[in-house]
Amino acid sequence: MVDVDLSHPPFSLLDDTGRERIRGGLDLAYYDRDEVILEAGQPGEYVFLIHKGEVAELDTSQPGESERIGHYTSGDLFGAISILNGQSRYRFRAEQETLCYLLPKALFTRLCDAYPAFAAFFHQRLAHKARLLSERRATGGISMADFMLARVADCMRPPLCLAEDATIAEAVRRLHEGYADSLLVTGGQGAGMVTKTDLLEALVLEDHEADSRLAPLAHFSLITARPDQYLFEVLVLMTRHRVERVVVTDRGSPVGVVELTDVLSHFSNRSHVVSLQVEQADDLATLAAASLRTPELVSGLMTQGVKLRFVMGLLAALNGRIIHKAWEFSIAERHRRASCLMVMGSEGRGEQILKTDQDNGLILDDELDWPGCVEQMAGFTETLVALGYPRCPGNIMVSNPDWVGTESQWKSRIARWVEQRDGDSLMKLAIMLDAHSVAGNAALLDGVRATLFEQASRDQLLLSYFARPVLHFSTPLTLFGSLKKPQHGIDIKKGGIFPIVHGVRVMALERGIAATGTLERLDALVVDGRLDGRVAEDLGEALSLFTQLRLEQQLARREGGEATSDIEPDRVVVQSLSSLERDLLREALHIVKDFKQRISHRYHLEYS
Amino acid sequence: MLRTLRRVVDRHRHAHGHYGWLFHPYTGEELVALAVQATEGDARLAEPLVIAAVRLRGDRILTSESLELRLAPTSGLDADTIRHHCLRGIDLDDGVGMDQALAGLLDFVGNRPLVSWRLDQELALINRQLRRHFGFDLPNAGIDLAQLYQRRQRHYHPQLEPVAPFERVAERLGVPVMGRHSALGTAVTTALMHLRLARQATPARHSG
Repeated sequence: MVDVDLSHPPFSLLDDTGRERIRGGLDLAYYDRDEVILEAGQPGEYVFLIHKGEVAELDTSQPGESERIGHYTSGDLFGAISILNGQSRYRFRAEQETLCYLLPKALFTRLCDAYPAFAAFFHQRLAHKARLLSERRATGGISMADFMLARVADCMRPPLCLAEDATIAEAVRRLHEGYADSLLVTGGQGAGMVTKTDLLEALVLEDHEADSRLAPLAHFSLITARPDQYLFEVLVLMTRHRVERVVVTDRGSPVGVVELTDVLSHFSNRSHVVSLQVEQADDLATLAAASLRTPELVSGLMTQGVKLRFVMGLLAALNGRIIHKAWEFSIAERHRRASCLMVMGSEGRGEQILKTDQDNGLILDDELDWPGCVEQMAGFTETLVALGYPRCPGNIMVSNPDWVGTESQWKSRIARWVEQRDGDSLMKLAIMLDAHSVAGNAALLDGVRATLFEQASRDQLLLSYFARPVLHFSTPLTLFGSLKKPQHGIDIKKGGIFPIVHGVRVMALERGIAATGTLERLDALVVDGRLDGRVAEDLGEALSLFTQLRLEQQLARREGGEATSDIEPDRVVVQSLSSLERDLLREALHIVKDFKQRISHRYHLEYS
Repeated sequence: MLRTLRRVVDRHRHAHGHYGWLFHPYTGEELVALAVQATEGDARLAEPLVIAAVRLRGDRILTSESLELRLAPTSGLDADTIRHHCLRGIDLDDGVGMDQALAGLLDFVGNRPLVSWRLDQELALINRQLRRHFGFDLPNAGIDLAQLYQRRQRHYHPQLEPVAPFERVAERLGVPVMGRHSALGTAVTTALMHLRLARQATPARHSG
């Protein structure tokens, strides 16, 4: 018929002839409220495309409210899986009067045969569909997105290599000929890096002779990257380690060098400007100016279709540097050496996007004597507020003496929390598990976290208590349409993000995985054998999707100047999503639901 | 009275002809929703331009088995018609001749009952041509939605206004108007309205 929009996936995967065949083959059906459209166990005869109305997907084997597992509205598609599987697993019921286009089974299978991409759409998993979405989103600036997603191999230059026994004079000549700033010394102990600055300092400051050997000058602890990594990740590496060049290695041997200037010429946009500003800031005012530009950086990168994982990584590195700098400005060197400033919560996991509350704490060396500590910490919290990090409503800040302590104080605190196992203690344990050091002596935090793993990872009862909050919030599969006012949206943090983050955290605690990011933890759990690679990939993809949807709506609200954005940062209004996004969201929430069941089974939460 | 008489005569005359089967009573469960776009002006002189029909079976509207006949106009189109239907001369250039169109229509409709908004007007347009070319009127049973709706409204709200226009009724019934300005769209919308009205007459069959 005339009125059907076939411009979205999966129909956009067909050509005009295919779409014409669909238009010619569709029937229409009208369903009353509460009428069952497709019964569980019934063979699938049609693909249903909703023109108007709302349909609920019900798992009849589940009791009561938990039977509702999906919700479909205008533009959505259902029933295809029933055709592919031979029968419907679930019951589909009209929530309102619903008008559906019916695509007969015979036509659907013929189309699947004729268009492999169309058929593949129905077999694909979330990761692939999400890629479709991001490709579609990036169509506004395809060239830009390609450009931002350049690989290391696209940008690296071949390394200048010299043998171990080369002299400084040879090195200088070689650099001059190659228009390069650095070269690699290859020898028995692997490759080492020598930069122009190293050579200058050796000749002028350390009185080396031009014909003395090059090898002693080289740095052998190199920051390396693989050629297939995104250039973006390299920028993150450089920001984090404060280096200007990264050696590209393939199976252990150096194949190229990426210089900061090369990366910057690739990313001639705001990201390097902000990070340079941060690095060059020499007082709090300039640091604050740089810090305030990070949201615009995020929206810039997002509109260019950069994968959220890398945006988060870059931002975490930037925020870490900002806090680190602020710490350097505020605290005397000898105190810094004997203490460790840690960030926690989403910042510790490297998963915040827009500026989040400051969640931080301080570990002091047992021997340190620091009389003015309390005042200085209160001052530091104020400094961070000035830099644009709001206060933590839960008062998890260095200005709170509960979150400052010596190493042995922290260890006894942890022992007490493990002992008590009440809600508050468990929450604090979770917070500590995500702690990540940003300034000072990181070994202090490692010691404290080692105690934490030692005490908690084998205590099955504690793990069970610790895992329980995963089931705390129901997954909002049902809320899509039945909200009184659709603009209230669903709380994506409670419904989607928290169960994944916390569930993964529990598993990481059990296996003693030190990583703090959820995605890194997932990777580590796969290596550990605790999780199947596909499951981990799906979970990571679901988490990225939730974060992305939340971020997009936050950015939109920020632009719209809506006042409520501060009150409900986690609200996602389902009705404002496209049908593909809804489809992805639905699938991601299903993944969360399965994961919750898995956690519940693993940690015996059924009876608690 | 006159119409009944005419039908008896038609049936008698055509009982053994090619179209004799049209006069048999229909026993299936399908209906056909019908819509016609015609030239404007004097109703007695108006000519059909597009005839669209779509079958209904149970609660399905078989849009995949629909019929849309564009007729080559016998006289030129006047500006009003074009404006009203968004039809231009060239849209109808590939139109079929009246003979062919009517034969196609009769094959598609058969002896199924017809559903239409203001069935009388639509039938008058078709029958005038049909009588000229085939020598009989459409003998099918018919449901006039406008009448049905008005009767139902009068039943619930006896003091109510005269029948509302097509699109307003569609809106009241919660039926989306499909493909505005196309005869096929109107036919489908008519079919949807009929489904709604038929459903409302019988209390909800499914609950749960």
